[in-house]
Amino acid sequence: MRGHGFLSAQYVPGASPLHRSPLWLKFLLVLVCGMASFLVADWAVAAVVLALLCAVFLGTGAGGRRLFRAVRPVLPVLAMVGLFQWWQLGGPTAARIVLNILVCVVAASILTVSTPVQALLDGVASLARPFRRLGADPERFALTIAVMLRSIPFIAGAYADVRDSARARGLDRNPRALVLPVFITTVAFARQTGEALAARGLGETGPED
Amino acid sequence: MSIVIDRAAVRVAVDGRAEPKTLLDEVSLTLSERRIGVIGANGSGKSTLLRLLNGLVAPSSGSVTVYGADTVRGVRSVRRRVGFVFTDPLSQLVMPTGREDVELSLRRSVRDGRERRARAEAVLARFGLLALADQSIYELSGGERQLMALAAVLAVDPDILVLDEPSTLLDLRNRELLRRTLAGLEQQVILSTHDLDLALDLDRVLVVDAGRIVFDGGPAEAVGFYRALCTADPGDSPGAAAPGPAASGAGLPEAGP
Repeated sequence: MRGHGFLSAQYVPGASPLHRSPLWLKFLLVLVCGMASFLVADWAVAAVVLALLCAVFLGTGAGGRRLFRAVRPVLPVLAMVGLFQWWQLGGPTAARIVLNILVCVVAASILTVSTPVQALLDGVASLARPFRRLGADPERFALTIAVMLRSIPFIAGAYADVRDSARARGLDRNPRALVLPVFITTVAFARQTGEALAARGLGETGPED
Repeated sequence: MSIVIDRAAVRVAVDGRAEPKTLLDEVSLTLSERRIGVIGANGSGKSTLLRLLNGLVAPSSGSVTVYGADTVRGVRSVRRRVGFVFTDPLSQLVMPTGREDVELSLRRSVRDGRERRARAEAVLARFGLLALADQSIYELSGGERQLMALAAVLAVDPDILVLDEPSTLLDLRNRELLRRTLAGLEQQVILSTHDLDLALDLDRVLVVDAGRIVFDGGPAEAVGFYRALCTADPGDSPGAAAPGPAASGAGLPEAGP
């Protein structure tokens, strides 16, 4: 299967100031950018924030190509959203919405490109620790994030494969020929992943003899 | 200490059939040799037999115990002892890179992040995978992926390693690499394979056919039995089709201590 270049903004080892920043600060950056996307009303401000974030991303040493790979998957959706908003609400609003979404994507990529996944999982497990009182296992929260990180590129790759095989059979305009196999592949993948985790004793609550 | 399978059978309900389908008929075995192989045709029950050992499949009847722990009642302690490697390493590697996957294995036992990283590096170095540790698992070759999956399982130091057709997706060079790696492991290794050369390296080989153990013995005899079984007239019964003792018959070697 292909399409796994979509492992967007995968961690890049480095010693930049951002790599050395504490995890909470990077979480805060993502949170603030997410909230700001609701508050910023001017597309020019959004453009400046995006430019700043792009500079921060490049400051990690991850490179422009990786930055493009991080935003590429959302570009078709953004193009559709932008066109629709431009038609409905005009150019400035459409630009603001599209730029704000890009701000969120780049902010999240800054976090993932400068933080090892295990450190992210440790952070998630720490955040989830209060839920232990309610009987929840913080490690399971972390594992859920891990599985999600793994699943997104897989599903994207499965879609690319199915689209190619549908094209080869002249069925690329048939939604059923695209959706159904991706759905079945995804369910099979979920089962396989569950088995793989169970085999390694991860995330299980079974009895200990 | 060993694995004891006591009259374990696996049956599953199938739509449109009144009777459940038998994936594995009543099997009784004691597995204590250092290197054990399971060979047989596709769909013969090899994987089901291996999955019993790690608790991935629960027996419909009978029991399976690993070092005294039942695979149903004590599944967590069984999984701490029994590492399982799947045919396709991409089904097994959950994280984007090998380093992260090995660290994921260690999360259960090592809470401290730094210690976990150090232990993961040590495991990767042991398998010569340190240079590939930060590459996407999709950028690795089949052999490198399989070794990475193996490293992730061995990171938690299981007593027993179960591998379900580990060489099926590998080319000759990578098969040899896997073979050398397996030969150097301290763990008890139980594997299923279609690679008869690999089977010949083992101490004991079981031949599975239609959910039954039809041969249990030395590797050369088992491979000979299996070859005869595969080339026999499909109408013949397995026992009649090939030389050598059937599992239920006399002449079976002792299972070992």
